[in-house]
Amino acid sequence: MYGRTGRCLRVNLTKGKHLVEEIAPELLDKFIGGRGLGVKVYSDEVDPQTDPLGSENKLIFVSGPLVGTGAISGASCNVVTKSALSGTIACAKMRGHFGAELKFAGFDMIVVEGRAESPVILSILDDKINIRPALEYWGRSTSETEVMYKENLDDKWAARETHLVSVGPAGERLVPLANVINDGFLSVGGAGIGAVMGSKNLKAIAVKGNHSLLIADGDRFVRVVTNLINKLNSAPFTSHSMSAWGSAFFIDLCYQKGMLPQKNFQSAAFVDSKDIGTEALSNTFALRSSGCFACPIACIKKTAVNYPFFKGKGMAPTYWAIGALGLNCAVRDMATIGIAHMICAEMGLDPIAAGGTVATAMELVEKGIADRDSLKLEFRFGQGEDLLQALTLMATKKGHAKRIGKGGQALAEEYGQSKRFMGVKGLSMAAFDPRAIQGMGLHFATCNYGPHHLYAYTFIEEVLGVHEELDPLTTEGKPELVKRYQDMAAIMDSLGLCNWPLMGLKFNNLVPMINSCLGTEYRADDLLRIGERIWNQERLYNMKAGFDHTHDTLPERFLKEPIKDGPAQGQISKLDEMLPRYYELRGWSEKGEPRAETLEALDL
Amino acid sequence: MAMPRIKIDHNKCTGCRHCELACSLNHAAVANPRRARIRVFHEGNVFFPVIAGPFVDAACTSKLDIKIGDQVYDMCLLCRASCPQKPFFIEAETGFPLKCDFCGIPPNPSCVRWCNSGALELIDD
Repeated sequence: MYGRTGRCLRVNLTKGKHLVEEIAPELLDKFIGGRGLGVKVYSDEVDPQTDPLGSENKLIFVSGPLVGTGAISGASCNVVTKSALSGTIACAKMRGHFGAELKFAGFDMIVVEGRAESPVILSILDDKINIRPALEYWGRSTSETEVMYKENLDDKWAARETHLVSVGPAGERLVPLANVINDGFLSVGGAGIGAVMGSKNLKAIAVKGNHSLLIADGDRFVRVVTNLINKLNSAPFTSHSMSAWGSAFFIDLCYQKGMLPQKNFQSAAFVDSKDIGTEALSNTFALRSSGCFACPIACIKKTAVNYPFFKGKGMAPTYWAIGALGLNCAVRDMATIGIAHMICAEMGLDPIAAGGTVATAMELVEKGIADRDSLKLEFRFGQGEDLLQALTLMATKKGHAKRIGKGGQALAEEYGQSKRFMGVKGLSMAAFDPRAIQGMGLHFATCNYGPHHLYAYTFIEEVLGVHEELDPLTTEGKPELVKRYQDMAAIMDSLGLCNWPLMGLKFNNLVPMINSCLGTEYRADDLLRIGERIWNQERLYNMKAGFDHTHDTLPERFLKEPIKDGPAQGQISKLDEMLPRYYELRGWSEKGEPRAETLEALDL
Repeated sequence: MAMPRIKIDHNKCTGCRHCELACSLNHAAVANPRRARIRVFHEGNVFFPVIAGPFVDAACTSKLDIKIGDQVYDMCLLCRASCPQKPFFIEAETGFPLKCDFCGIPPNPSCVRWCNSGALELIDD
């Protein structure tokens, strides 16, 4: 079996037992691996009505077939479960080195079932699988957990090769905004997954292994990858911008296009993007590139922060963190944003969900609907201290911060103000104003995982114009674009590839790499078709979990209130124009349900 | 005598470990960092690519520390030798020690070809 290990580790925490299984080859053919396989196995095994935090729920870690093979940016490990925040299916994309190490440990997938009585760590070290008691780790931050675990290993050199995924105090306390953290990298789009892992009393998973992965046509694969590295190196975004600042370089671009949200999406203008753009980033932090496994782009920036409130080393804020934690709360001080981001990484919070919640609270206070007494914390727009305090308190669920720890939607509803929560399906919006970038708006409304940009990166065409230049303000061709990018993200996640190479390469360029690695003969269209199958599979699960076309919408603000200021002034989201066409393209009814013939054609 | 060299720049290395896979694919025809003749270690945020050197069957009797900038590092981290203290660069199945051969004559190291950060560079002077 090329690229894959074909093995699955099933761990039952209630019984304290584990079992190694073979993954059925026809599942791998139909759903490839990674996200697709995870979603399929999860939908087959877990009742859609299940309580995300109950012991019946399962948690699946799954690496795609290209992870660890040397394929460019093949590092992504997906975590699939039902989100504790939204109740939809959830899939986090873990970056870093954990996914590849899982493959070297001999597994494509770990399925975690049941619930341990007391905190445990699952360790898979050189084929020795153990569920160890971890009481002394409980309550520790993610980086402390990692350091402590490695110090407790006898072999110091083996410790260097061990990689961990863990939850922080937020996940342990079942805060629905919690996420999972690996190698000090925040996962993408996993709000609610940390709480599921915490509910299983699973503090961390450690992996290290010695297995080899086979490549179908090694010589061709090496040639193709060399060629792709050279191509990435000659493309401006992947060779320079991403390597220098990571995704934070979008700030300047988005500012110019007026799609940078401020004050809980009330405004889109900024006095001066100098405070917050790449210049500020370079001035505030000593940036050092840190690559995920086998990534020639290396967009992650590591840095150190020295501040009375927080000291430590970690990731410098990325675009979505700057947007969600900074601009959307009107905080413009880069150092504060950096600290907020690190608190999220240490405590195991999802920056978009946490930032969105704080911004909602700030708007409620600004409008005089909530006050300091009811929230027990001051929430003033632009006040960095309020943001940092809120994050720490919501992660530790101390005192009255319980109220904001439930997430933005629950908070807004408590005050009868659900229209002031800027999110879809209970998840907060990533930092793109859908009124100024229509395609992304359609994606936000329809995405199976809530409004997260990394499940369809239409930004590449709508703003960067890498392959075709599209006007972000028009709706023409957008349903087609969104569908294509959603399917593409689904297949790339399933293969284990990151989306960023698309900033320098076409999807078609990746196909020879995929084929030479796996020994297949896919054409680009075949792969997109599999992506479409995965997207529909997720949709079916969400429908059974109680989501329908009425959830495919945007908050009222985007549909009715025009943007007040900035370059995209006067725009509203034209979702109504795009949605019917989108359903039609997908082969869904007007009610957003996949038609029988669509499912049949997709072999579902 | 002029000799081709690989120049390693710790400041540029991003720790992506693509070099490890380039090496293992080239020499062992599989993807497995443990069969590579180059490994990347890290201490804090700094990464150190280490290329396999000689195999020794006895460990050092003394330890060295090396100071780079403000930081003090354990010299074992940067050492190229495979020794009982640092059991790297050994084929797990056969127990054979591995050593970098610059990927043949003329030298065309695959790790350098895949290193996109500029941390590894082939110098011929």
